[in-house]
Amino acid sequence: MAVAVIMPRQGQSVESCIIGEWHVAKGDKVSAGDKLFTYETDKATFDEEAPADGEIIAVFFEEGDDVPCLLNVLVIGEAGESWEEFIPEGATADGAGAGAAAATAEAASVPEAAAKAEAAPAATVVTAPSVAGEHPVSPRAKGLAAKHNVDLRLTAPTGPNGRIIERDVEAAIDAGLVATTAAGQDYAAGIAGSGIGGAVRVEDLSKLPELQNLEGAALVDQAVAGLDEVEYTDDKITNIRKVIARSMHASLSEMAQLTLNASFDASNILAWRNRLKALKEKGMDEKLGLAILQRVPTINDIILYAVSRTVKKYPDCNAHYLADENIFRHFNRVHLGVAVDTPRGLMVPVVRNADLKSISQISAEARDLAMQCMEGAINPDKISGSTITITNMGRSGIESFTPVINPPETCIVGVSSTYEKVRSGKDGGIELYPAMTISLTIDHRAIDGAPGAVFLQALVQTLENFDLFLMG
Amino acid sequence: MTKSLPINPEEARAPRMIELQDIPVNQYQKTVKDEKDNFTKEEFMNIYRDMRLIREFEEMLMSIKTTNAYNGLEYNNPGPAHLSVGQEAAAVGQAFYLDKNDFIFGSHRSHGEVLAKAFSAIRKLDDAELMEIMESFMDGKQLKAIESIRENEESVAELATSYILYGILAEIFAKETGFNQGLGGSMHSYFTPLGIFPNNAIVGGSADIALGAALYKKVNRQPGIVIGNFGDGSMGCGPVWEALAMATMDQYETLWEGDMKGGLPLIFNINNNHYGMGGQTRGETMGYGNPARIGAACNPRQMHAEAVDGNNPLAVIDAYKRKMKNIEDKEGPIFLELVTYRFFGHSPSDADSYRTEEEKDAWREHDPLKTYPEQLIEAGVATQAEIDAIDEYVVKKIIQTVKLAIDPVISPRMDLQAEPRAIEDLMFSNQKVASFSDAEPDMLQTREELKDNVRVKQIARRERYAYDEDGKLLSPNRRYQFRDGIFEAVIEKFYEDPTLIAYGEDLRDWGGAYAAYRGLTEAVPYHRFFNSPISEAAIVGSGIGYAMAGGRALVELMYCDFLGRAGDEVFNQLPKWQAMSGGYLKMPVVIRVSVGSKYGAQHSQDWTSLVAHIPGIKVVFPATPYDVKGLLTSALNGTDPVVVFESQRLYDVGEQFVKEGVPAEPYEVTIGEPAMRRTGSDVTFLTIGATLYRALEAADQLQAEYGISAEVIDARTLVPFNYDMVIESVKKTGKIIVAGDATARGSYLNDLAQNIQNLAFDYLDAPVQILGSRNWITPAYELENDFFPQADWFIDLYHQRIAPIAGYTPTHNFTDGEIRRRSTLGV
Repeated sequence: MAVAVIMPRQGQSVESCIIGEWHVAKGDKVSAGDKLFTYETDKATFDEEAPADGEIIAVFFEEGDDVPCLLNVLVIGEAGESWEEFIPEGATADGAGAGAAAATAEAASVPEAAAKAEAAPAATVVTAPSVAGEHPVSPRAKGLAAKHNVDLRLTAPTGPNGRIIERDVEAAIDAGLVATTAAGQDYAAGIAGSGIGGAVRVEDLSKLPELQNLEGAALVDQAVAGLDEVEYTDDKITNIRKVIARSMHASLSEMAQLTLNASFDASNILAWRNRLKALKEKGMDEKLGLAILQRVPTINDIILYAVSRTVKKYPDCNAHYLADENIFRHFNRVHLGVAVDTPRGLMVPVVRNADLKSISQISAEARDLAMQCMEGAINPDKISGSTITITNMGRSGIESFTPVINPPETCIVGVSSTYEKVRSGKDGGIELYPAMTISLTIDHRAIDGAPGAVFLQALVQTLENFDLFLMG
Repeated sequence: MTKSLPINPEEARAPRMIELQDIPVNQYQKTVKDEKDNFTKEEFMNIYRDMRLIREFEEMLMSIKTTNAYNGLEYNNPGPAHLSVGQEAAAVGQAFYLDKNDFIFGSHRSHGEVLAKAFSAIRKLDDAELMEIMESFMDGKQLKAIESIRENEESVAELATSYILYGILAEIFAKETGFNQGLGGSMHSYFTPLGIFPNNAIVGGSADIALGAALYKKVNRQPGIVIGNFGDGSMGCGPVWEALAMATMDQYETLWEGDMKGGLPLIFNINNNHYGMGGQTRGETMGYGNPARIGAACNPRQMHAEAVDGNNPLAVIDAYKRKMKNIEDKEGPIFLELVTYRFFGHSPSDADSYRTEEEKDAWREHDPLKTYPEQLIEAGVATQAEIDAIDEYVVKKIIQTVKLAIDPVISPRMDLQAEPRAIEDLMFSNQKVASFSDAEPDMLQTREELKDNVRVKQIARRERYAYDEDGKLLSPNRRYQFRDGIFEAVIEKFYEDPTLIAYGEDLRDWGGAYAAYRGLTEAVPYHRFFNSPISEAAIVGSGIGYAMAGGRALVELMYCDFLGRAGDEVFNQLPKWQAMSGGYLKMPVVIRVSVGSKYGAQHSQDWTSLVAHIPGIKVVFPATPYDVKGLLTSALNGTDPVVVFESQRLYDVGEQFVKEGVPAEPYEVTIGEPAMRRTGSDVTFLTIGATLYRALEAADQLQAEYGISAEVIDARTLVPFNYDMVIESVKKTGKIIVAGDATARGSYLNDLAQNIQNLAFDYLDAPVQILGSRNWITPAYELENDFFPQADWFIDLYHQRIAPIAGYTPTHNFTDGEIRRRSTLGV
């Protein structure tokens, strides 16, 4: 019995999905559980698996098609079985994927998905040596290179099939392409082969720290020139990247964004956090039975909590500005968008009703959501509906930046790294203190500069007196 | 010399008739009553007891195989059981006159013969002799296992009977207390202290082995006869026919001299149960009517071939009495067919689909266990009560045996977890035995007279190092050659070990392929050095039997390509018996195998890999005069089977490496150690056999033209092989080519490469390369350079797969694509 595989509905808000990649073709035999195709919502990527054993007897869509949810995508059955009854509504399909009916622009949340004309192969090599980025290294050459701190990236391979062999390393040594001992240690520590049996390939080496002390920068160019290295590769833009691009571009082109920066003394939150950590180390989490000691909140969790409480007093900042509809929507609850950097691109999962949740609850939920985003397994419903977004670049050593608003929200809070700053001391001298910058971008259409600054100042106050605020 | 036997054309072409005499079939028709005066009552009763014991033993096995139980004793025996129920009269009749000096060899269906022979031999030994045997065999292991029943035994003979039943059954059950330590099993039981040699799971496999044992008895003047037992199914086996041919050579009468003149003490005993597994030999798969017809055709004496009633023990005894007299008169070998029938299938899994119940029922009327006791009662020799008493005794005896053999404490199995080397230690005996006898060696020339030997005089004129004082290579006639090394090692052993015999095709007078043996004819008498028929299976198989019986055999296969003709002997027999006998038997057999060149596809193959693949054989391939003498001496001093490969390219090479020259006195080269032929620093060449010289040529070119320094190692031995030298070399050079003349696919070169890769991976600058012959037929000599690895192949391979040489243009294709292409096509 032939069965149709539909485009699943991943969350109530999703109306269509884009087929990212086909793993099967018409005529293939599949077993239950085999991957059929990859599909993307505008926020995440999923794999659809075969529900039954059989042959793929019809395929209605092509890669890049934006397919309305619940429509038949393909049919699994026995060879020769009829599949015409499964042709999705409005489609004039031949069952082989061509001529399929993609979602209409109106139905699709990603309108330009129909523009699937990008016929470029997955990775176009411009200069085309046969083993681009694939120079294997003989075990002996590898050993010699490690011994003499030779950077194998700068070693011209002369072995068969582009293999770097002992004499190539010897030539590099003779040419002075040798790192300092210190750099060599980085190099040695960083070496982790991904080839068979841990064989180091050049692609592994590119992950290594740069070697600072080569004798003469010109030698680097000379060596690289000898590498037959590919200058660049062209990769197809993923759909999620397109979504981000469109969203960011819309954000900046349609709003009047203004960023306010303020620095605050982070001593209080750091001290509070250190105290929790000290208690946890003493095993007080067990004794006191406090959730907050089970997992000590991060700096980011503290900011989330502070925003969830403080923004309540500034309704314009917890709002959607829907200019086209002539609506300024003020929310009663705070749904915190938390920006997460994932291998697939930026994602913004939402901690709903954050104003009602404890810091421990927020901490745990934010962490779970981030994990799901990293794994690409997040429910699309959980990445929409935020009322205000927090983005944190604290780990990247950023001093301040201009966050870009997640439309149709009215503001976004950006957090940077902690830096030691100097200020006047109590006794007339100067003192060092840990300072952190908060960058608040507001949509000037919705909020004026002064009220924005007041909200920012309130956040600063909250964070500088966080222990008291918690008691409050 | 065969020159004394001229082939006269007048005679050869004269009209005449070959006269065949009648072949007697079932002429003996007597019963117990007729023979009452010729046997004692005890003898009559013992015949019954022995048949009954064998029957119960086999039925016990059938019961265990099919029901996992015997008389309430439960046991599962997954191993084979080819039972001889129905054939007891043949086994017991055969054994009646045999003692421990008579040797029997058997087949997969030989439990009956083994037990009957043991019971007969026990009766002919006194208590002290029996105790000595039981206490000394495998340090009394089996005797200790049956300790608990010792007090209940009525006599030492009874104890010995229990001991034999136990040792065989424990062996069938794969117990460490079995006679083969559990490594032989049902089809390979043996007990040489009573003259019972291993049975053989290959149909007809014992024929040429038994021939070898008979040669041993004759050449070494040992008492007793040798019996090879096979079924009628074996009559279609080539090696059996070869054994018949070699056993009936005219030369025993015409050329062997003095007391050696005359036939072999050997009986080919065919137990004709009419079925070769499921194939019915009479009427379906053979055309002889009776196997006796084949024996009768072999020589003018017709091998005294006869078919006798194998279901009448008295008929068999009568036949053996007459045949043993023939042997005493040096009229052996004998061909004897015992007509009989097996009631069970080939094995318990045989559903008997090829014969009817009517046929079996008809034969049940002729069952010796029915007819013989009836005759005993009819003749008044025994009462029914006496018969019943024996039956009762037999069941008790077998129950007792089963109890002991299935007991996991008394009869444990070899524990390879606790002793992981237990079998490993038995694969080779690794002993050094200069001589297997104290007798004076039979020689035609004394050691003193040897200086006048034509060959010895020739060698004396030659320089033992291949280069003169100016470093100039001496001409072949002026240098000591590879073939001289062979001669010196062999002639020395002839004087040292009186049991040594050497034979093969075209050895005497001719001197063997490439005249390695020239000069032996003058020094060694016929019975120690002779031409065999063109019977490769029998050449190797008889060597195995000769060694098993206690001597040392040096046999030759004129071309490596003939190895297939001796496939079963080299692959199934030679390597197995040391370990399969639980380490009791030794196998001092050296096979010289000449690897050809020039003569095309069936005379130029290097099959070292085939032999090296089989566990249990040492494999050497010397490439220099020093090594062939030293390695052959080691092989001839040892107790393990060694196959010595010799390249026909090398018979005239001089000694180019040992500057002191090849010593005149005996010396050994250790089997298993490679030799450094040239030191170098950039690449290592490891070679097998004659390829050494091509590698050296390549090394010269690499050094002279490209400044690349090659180290060259000669493997010398394939099995065993010590990797130390090679690994040290690869640590230095980082690159290696393993080369030989064998066709590359599946060759031993790959084995060496694999191990080197494992042991030196971190030092390698390129994958280990192998360089063998193309996977083709060997073409004509004129085309050989495109088939066998040549010097330029080494350089091409180095350039394409190891380290490209600037400006070098290869002529042979070793690229990835070519490897894939050839592999895809299987060429």
